[in-house]
Amino acid sequence: MRDGPVPLRGAAKSAPRKGIEVGEGDQTRKSQPTARRKRLFGAWITAREAFWIAIEALRSHKLRSILTLLGVVIATTTLISVMSVVNGMNLYFQDRIANLGANTFILHQWQWAQGYESWLKARRRNKPIRLEEFEFLKASLPNYKNIGANAWIWGESDAKYKGKTLYEVELAGRTPNMIDIGQEKVELGRYFTESDYQHSAMVCFVGRDLVDEFFPTIDPIDKEITVRGANFRIIGVAGRIGTTFGQSQDKFVHIPLTTFQKLFVARPQLAVSIQAYDPKQMLVLEDEVRALMRARRQIPYKDDDTFGINASDTLMSAWHQLTGAIFAVTIGIVAVFMVVGGIVIMNIMLASVTERTHEIGIRKSLGARRRDILMQFIIESSVMAAAGGGIGVLLSFIISKIVDMVFTSSVPLNAVVIGLVLSTVVGLFFGIYPASKAARLDPIEALRTEA
Amino acid sequence: MQESAAPGAGVVIRTEDLWKTYDMGEAIAVHALCGVSFEIERGEYVAIMGPSGSGKSTLMNLIGCLDTPTRGNYWLNGHMVSELSDDELAYIRNKEIGFVFQTFNLLARASALHNVELPLIYNGTPAMERLEKAQEALAKVELADRMHHRPNELSGGQRQRVAVARALVNNPSIILADEPTGNLDSATGEEIMKLFDRLHEAGNTIVLVTHEHDIAAHALRILHIRDGKIDRDERVE
Repeated sequence: MRDGPVPLRGAAKSAPRKGIEVGEGDQTRKSQPTARRKRLFGAWITAREAFWIAIEALRSHKLRSILTLLGVVIATTTLISVMSVVNGMNLYFQDRIANLGANTFILHQWQWAQGYESWLKARRRNKPIRLEEFEFLKASLPNYKNIGANAWIWGESDAKYKGKTLYEVELAGRTPNMIDIGQEKVELGRYFTESDYQHSAMVCFVGRDLVDEFFPTIDPIDKEITVRGANFRIIGVAGRIGTTFGQSQDKFVHIPLTTFQKLFVARPQLAVSIQAYDPKQMLVLEDEVRALMRARRQIPYKDDDTFGINASDTLMSAWHQLTGAIFAVTIGIVAVFMVVGGIVIMNIMLASVTERTHEIGIRKSLGARRRDILMQFIIESSVMAAAGGGIGVLLSFIISKIVDMVFTSSVPLNAVVIGLVLSTVVGLFFGIYPASKAARLDPIEALRTEA
Repeated sequence: MQESAAPGAGVVIRTEDLWKTYDMGEAIAVHALCGVSFEIERGEYVAIMGPSGSGKSTLMNLIGCLDTPTRGNYWLNGHMVSELSDDELAYIRNKEIGFVFQTFNLLARASALHNVELPLIYNGTPAMERLEKAQEALAKVELADRMHHRPNELSGGQRQRVAVARALVNNPSIILADEPTGNLDSATGEEIMKLFDRLHEAGNTIVLVTHEHDIAAHALRILHIRDGKIDRDERVE
């Protein structure tokens, strides 16, 4: 260490240089391109300073910040949670209902997912698809890849094996080619064949749940289970599909449609799956099916179809119309929360400006311009609101996880982005007034205010 | 800008018939300054003295570019500042003036280093350069070892030295000190005044605003203000 004081040459050295700058004011500064770049850079530096001030302010007033942000947190949580549930339902619908198979559409008594009223109407007016119509289409329809039929039994079917019972099993009669059209995959054994179909064989293809229940440790193939009083030999097991809406999708027993007719329903109502070669051919094929069906049912040209043709895209758009209503309500609620949250933020920022008047005076005396102060407070309120948005995102992730256990929910990325952007924008907007109040403070008055 | 009246290169401050009038409403006007004219040259060590109510605070605010005169011209280091806008004044304050206040006016939540960095932040100095300059300034006031302390962890004298470092960091044309020892005991006050003396020896222009004779005695020139006018311009040889 030196003995004497450090020499103070630094301050004096540049003094003569300054003397030359006579007449250089703001005008010359602005006209230079380098000065412009320097100013942008300067704005970045002051923005960074403002950002740290904001973080510091949040840290030093934790409880106050949390209470302030409650509105924004609730708004963001609500928004993202609802979007997640709707997204989850959409995914479910897309996966399990609208996913009819590759390039496949389904001819059924009515149009699916069209709302309760029109469903009631269609149910009264339309006629079920019968086996003859399936056979007719199979024979008359030109140029399709596959055509299969599917019939269910409504009501409870219980499956039994050696004293054990699995309740509420879905029992379906199907044509053998449905394995190529539908979503089920063979995991073990095989699906039923044309021969099984022709001979109304007492065989079945089962979902994973039956194996888990009846044959957890042994090979299920060739074991006989009892469904609705009839014995079926298991010839194949499907790969696991999973659960949706808390319900297992693996509790099914498929038997040949002919067996189904013989044992349970002589004249079943069918859902006919028609598979095209490629997506472009779908529309053509749909039109041909419609024309053939109308001709066979002799529907006058002015009347509506007495059947429904269900394709993935029409199903999805119908579904989105339903979920759109949920969205509209949510947007209203979120908007109210956001405005309330924004006003609370504005209020606290006004208090903060009053509290920090002296600080503003100091900063102004040191050369902070109006826009520096403006930016400081706008960034503070934006960071605060964004933090609220962040908390909302975390909360909604937790909520989504919980909801997903009992229903369905999946947080979409765009909901997170929208939540964060929206809360930041709210903070920014409601920060403008307090910030401009701070920026307009007179430095002398501000300095005179007690800290 | 009135080019004809612009001062020469050696002149840092030139005021020309400065008036500051406060309108108190109902046609009552209070004249805080009534035509003050003086010049301060580069490297001078000037004290502005006067009793309270004399207008010295108003004069300090004008010199410090915190306020603009009602009438008259003021040049600071060649800039005609008496007619500038708020933001232009802020720019001049940042570049040309180093303030030292009676109450230190440090940011309580920021470290000494950050306090010294503030003026550099507002002129867009990059972080590395800023750190270097701030450390240098703190070293000049012998506080290099305390740069990470917050103001409440420093003594009054140390706080005022941080404020001096902050005033120095931008290499301003003038250091403007408003009762810099007013909140300090006499021994510490004397220390701070010695620091100002050294700054003056190093070539800085210093303007002290005070009502204490002991403090003003450090300066080489004393402007006595009374009733908004310069009463006496006393040079100490």
